[in-house]
Amino acid sequence: MSRPELTGPAAHFYNEKEARKYDSSSRMVGVQREITERAIELLRLDHSQPAYVLDIGCGSGLSGQVLEEKGHFWLGCDVSRDMLLVAQERMHNQAENDDDDDDDDESMDGDSNHNIKKQRKSTGDLMHHDMGTGLPFRPATFDACISISALQWLCYSNSAQQNPRRRLTRFFSSLYTVLKRGGRAVLQFYPETAEQAVLITECATRVGFAGGVVVDYPNSAKAKKHYLVLSFDRNSEQKRKAALKDGLSSAAEEQQSVLVTGASREGTKKAPIRKKKGVKTKEWIVHKKETQRKKGKAVRPDTKYTARRRPTKF
Amino acid sequence: MRLLTHNSLKNNSAAAKGKGFPLKVTVAQIRVDEQDGIDDDDDDDTKIRFIQGILPNIDWPALVAASQAMGIPTLPPTLTEDLAENRVFLVALYHVLMNVHLVQGILTCPVTGREFVVQNEIPNMILEEEECEAVRF
Repeated sequence: MSRPELTGPAAHFYNEKEARKYDSSSRMVGVQREITERAIELLRLDHSQPAYVLDIGCGSGLSGQVLEEKGHFWLGCDVSRDMLLVAQERMHNQAENDDDDDDDDESMDGDSNHNIKKQRKSTGDLMHHDMGTGLPFRPATFDACISISALQWLCYSNSAQQNPRRRLTRFFSSLYTVLKRGGRAVLQFYPETAEQAVLITECATRVGFAGGVVVDYPNSAKAKKHYLVLSFDRNSEQKRKAALKDGLSSAAEEQQSVLVTGASREGTKKAPIRKKKGVKTKEWIVHKKETQRKKGKAVRPDTKYTARRRPTKF
Repeated sequence: MRLLTHNSLKNNSAAAKGKGFPLKVTVAQIRVDEQDGIDDDDDDDTKIRFIQGILPNIDWPALVAASQAMGIPTLPPTLTEDLAENRVFLVALYHVLMNVHLVQGILTCPVTGREFVVQNEIPNMILEEEECEAVRF
C-alpha cells in the first residue's frame, strides 16, 4: 500500500468514504487507540486535574475520546471536514448511548460507575483548520498538545505555494506560543524516511522546544512508531514548580521570562557571530587569536592594526 | 463552537499583525445543552477544578461580549475575587463556557474584517498560504 501522503492533500484523501472506513474498521480503531494511550502516557499528565488539551489532526475523534476517558477536555483541529463530521456523530452518539454497558462508549469525567445512567456530554470541541498555517489561538491557552498520525502530512507540498519547511516552522512556532510554559506536546507521526524524521525534529527544536523522538518497537518495520516529545527547557519547568510551591498563581508565573542562570552559562564560550558568511569580523579574529594563544601557539600581539583591512591583497 | 473555544480563537493572518482578537460573533443559530443536574458532587468537582485551571487564562471582556451576542446576558462585567471562589458561580460559568454552542454563524476579525464561517458547529479557520505570517526558516 503506497503512502496516502503521496496521493494529494489530506483533505482530499480523507473524503467521506475514507472517513467512514477509518472510523468503522475495528483494527484501525484499536491501533489508533493504542497509540493515543501511549502518547498520553508520554505526556505525563496529572489525571486528577482536568487539562485543556489541543488535538492536532483529531480526525474522527478517536484520540479525543481517549482523552475524555481520562477526564480531560480537548479541542480538535483537522483539515478534512468529512472527518470532523464523523467525529461529531461519534460525540453525539456517545452522549446518547451512555445507558449501554459498552466500554467503547465510556465517557469522561473520571466517574467509572456504570450504574449511574446520565447524559454524558463530550468535553471536546472541533475546528476546521490547516495546521501548516499556524495555530490561531491566544498565547498559553493549552496545558498540553497531542497529535496522532497527522504530522507527516506537513512534509508533502500540494501546491506551488506550499513549502514543507516553512509550514513545519510555522506550525511549531505557533505551537510554542499557544502551549502553557511547563506544558508538553506528544506528536505521533509516520516518517517516510529518516531525513523526514530529522526535518521534523529540526524544525521543532529550532523554534525553542526541548525534546526529541521516542521510537517504539524500533526493530519492526510494521510496528515501529515515532513519537515526537516536546517540552520547554528544564529551567522553565523547575522555575514553575518552585513558583507553585511558593503559592504564586500559574498565570503570574507564565509572565516571567526564562532567565538563563549563571550556572548554565559558565564554561560555555559563545562564539562571536559573523556578520556575513565568509567575512571575518575583528571580534572573530581577536577571539581566534585568543584561542590560539591558549593552545600555546606563537601569536602576534593585538595592536591597532589587528583585523584592519589591508590596502592591497598580500 | 463553544464559548470556551471562542475565547482563545484569534485571526493569525499576516494582515491582523497579532491583534486579531477577539473575534466578533454574528449569530444565525444557537444550541444550548441542558444544564446537568446539580446532584452529583463528583461531576461538579471535576467541572470546578477544570474551571479553576483555565480561569486565569480567560479573557473576561471577550467572554462577556461573546456570551451577550449568543443570548446569555447574565455574566457580570468584571470578575471579582469573591466570584472566582464561589462554587455555584463556577458551576454556572462551566455551563456558559461548555454548553452554549454556536451552530451557524460568522466570526469576524476586529482588525481586518476577515470572516470565518461557522457551520454545523464547526468554525472554518482555514487560511490560504498567502494570508499567513512570514516565518524565518
